[in-house]
Amino acid sequence: MTRPPVYLDHAATTPVRPAVLEAMLPYLTAQAFGNPSSAHRFGRAARAGLEQARREVAQALGAEPNQVVFTSGGTEADNLGIVGAALAARERGATMCAVVSAIEHKAILSAAHAVCHLGGREVVLPVDQHGRLELDALDQALAGRPAVVSVMWVNNEVGVVQPIGEIAGRCEQAGVAFHTDAVQAFGKLPVDLATLACTLATISGHKIGAPKGIGALVVRDRKAIEAIIHGGGQQYGLRPGTENVAGAVALGRAAALAAAEQGTEAERLRALTDELAARLRAGVPDLVINGEGAERAPHVLSISVPGADSEALLMHLDLAGVAVSSGSACSTGAVEPSHVLVAMGVPRDLALGAIRLSLGRDSTADDVARAAEVMPSVVAKVRKLAGVLGRA
Amino acid sequence: MSGGVDSSVAAARLVEQGYEVVGATMKLFCYGDDVPDRPCCSLDSINDARDVAHALGIAHYVLNLEDRFDLHVIQNFVSEYSRGRTPIPCVRCNSFTKFRDLLAHADALDCRYIATGHYAVARDGALFRGDDPLKDQSYFLWGIDPAVVERMLTPVGLITKAETRAIARRLGLVTADKPESVEICFVPDDDYVGVLERHLPADAPALSPGPLVTTAGELIGEHRGYARYTIGQRKGLPGGAAEARYVIAIRPERREVVVGGVEDLAGHRVRLDEVNWLADPLEPGGECEVQIRHRSRAVPATVVSAGGGSLDLALAVPVRAITPGQSGVMYGDGGRVLGGGVIDVPGDGGA
Repeated sequence: MTRPPVYLDHAATTPVRPAVLEAMLPYLTAQAFGNPSSAHRFGRAARAGLEQARREVAQALGAEPNQVVFTSGGTEADNLGIVGAALAARERGATMCAVVSAIEHKAILSAAHAVCHLGGREVVLPVDQHGRLELDALDQALAGRPAVVSVMWVNNEVGVVQPIGEIAGRCEQAGVAFHTDAVQAFGKLPVDLATLACTLATISGHKIGAPKGIGALVVRDRKAIEAIIHGGGQQYGLRPGTENVAGAVALGRAAALAAAEQGTEAERLRALTDELAARLRAGVPDLVINGEGAERAPHVLSISVPGADSEALLMHLDLAGVAVSSGSACSTGAVEPSHVLVAMGVPRDLALGAIRLSLGRDSTADDVARAAEVMPSVVAKVRKLAGVLGRA
Repeated sequence: MSGGVDSSVAAARLVEQGYEVVGATMKLFCYGDDVPDRPCCSLDSINDARDVAHALGIAHYVLNLEDRFDLHVIQNFVSEYSRGRTPIPCVRCNSFTKFRDLLAHADALDCRYIATGHYAVARDGALFRGDDPLKDQSYFLWGIDPAVVERMLTPVGLITKAETRAIARRLGLVTADKPESVEICFVPDDDYVGVLERHLPADAPALSPGPLVTTAGELIGEHRGYARYTIGQRKGLPGGAAEARYVIAIRPERREVVVGGVEDLAGHRVRLDEVNWLADPLEPGGECEVQIRHRSRAVPATVVSAGGGSLDLALAVPVRAITPGQSGVMYGDGGRVLGGGVIDVPGDGGA
């Protein structure tokens, strides 16, 4: 490969930002490696970093520092929100029921499923063809007084933005805890929990330039959840275990930067994504933009190429030096149509030919041009292949 | 790259020889949570293949060929057993999936060659036995398109399995000491009847009781479904006879399993169907050596008649348990694979 590869998979993960790395390093080494629960000076140094990180995260999100619970990432935060809320409901003798949208991340869908295994119930709410939650179905579900409703702010596969204020408001009115997975929204949309009636919110570090292995659940009502792991009482007992101090510090720094830069960055990403969509469409006129009819986040572009296989597209783009994703990355390499696209009623052929291009801080106009440049020949090859092998 | 040592070393040798290599793992079936770990095609094996590819500095992709594999291999496996035959899915996979569908992917990537970890040797458009007599896998490759042989690379065909492992250890590949996979990849725990039960209705004749008869036509008992039997099998037959009894034939139209003595197993003729040639076709009178099982010795044979995709061979010496559904592979000088076919009626014995 003569030119460096182009990374258009920022919704999967992002590189650690230099300022973030610099901020966290002291907490890994001699300077402040201590256990934040220790009473001595080493512990105090670590504790100071941890609490500073909590303040930074809180401020970036419009929450209070004592509402921030650090977790190992988005998946754990989602599980704590859903399973924790179900356990809390059982504790107070209420319905152990989790209500989620059909296009949630697997972390939420699987956690809701786990509630069933614990003896509770799950309700999966449909979305319309653009990927927006069916609000009538939400109202119906709320009438059953569930333990928690969870709807993601921005969908990770297609970038569709939910009317999150409206949803949160309805839950509040019904007196039901509301959780939102804000992993893809934070840093891309204005996320201000002070003006949102949500009980719980998830963010993840590695989507915003912190390392993998750190995330947070904002818990605005501690009675709304019970811990799902048990230990020494750290983090209000909601998430015990010696804190990942360096990770928390990194998340704090990255969150502060993401919040500060959100407006300008979103504008820049929106222009790039629009340019990318226009160029791709010029080269592949029959491609379909998934979720086109809805408001979408500025950094995610999901396209379907009729008569092409998404895994083959990904492979050929990779060999051409352009890294994208086929829907959501699946560790098994299994190829099933994305549950998000299926829920949106996208026809199977189009769902199997979907790829996601997602931009981030280091994306440039050059990257966009490169991706658009290689796409037509890649599509031609992959379509020819599909012609040989047939399609499911 | 199956995630086994042979394809790992095949890839490694090509990298050492300076080829630009793209690693591919075929995902052929998925049992989901039913069967957590399979020797191949499981997540662990895919990860092993990825590890090896990364160690070799080559790209690696998982290609989903589940639908194609189901269509050409698993469905054939089920229908062959339903017909009272004993299929070899690995032959079908090579003919239809690996060296045809996978090749379509290779074409799309503009790959000049397709490499395999088989112990066989492709040279100048001809296919030969692998040099390691204990590992030779040419028997499974008779059905591929002759045009593909010209594009085949067989980097482990000229070395022994022991040498393959030694190379893998030298390179520190994670697959170096992985145990041999001897099962059929999509048949968990060697329970092929379980696979048939998943694919066939409960009252399918192949899985339903039927008469056990002797070669003389005497009814001696009932069997539990003829698909549970293969020619030459001793296990699962009623005892009490003076001499050992073997399955001699399966007659699916009457659900009969025919048993007889060891002498009834000997066959002098083989009929092959679906014949494919990797060399100039033999005419009647033409001579070759034919091998009728993976682990059996090839015997001299003469073509008696040929035509319409079928071939009749007369064997110079009788061969034990010629089994419909298995492959008959014809070899020429130097272990060259001339061609092969699927064994049809069991020569001059049984039916």
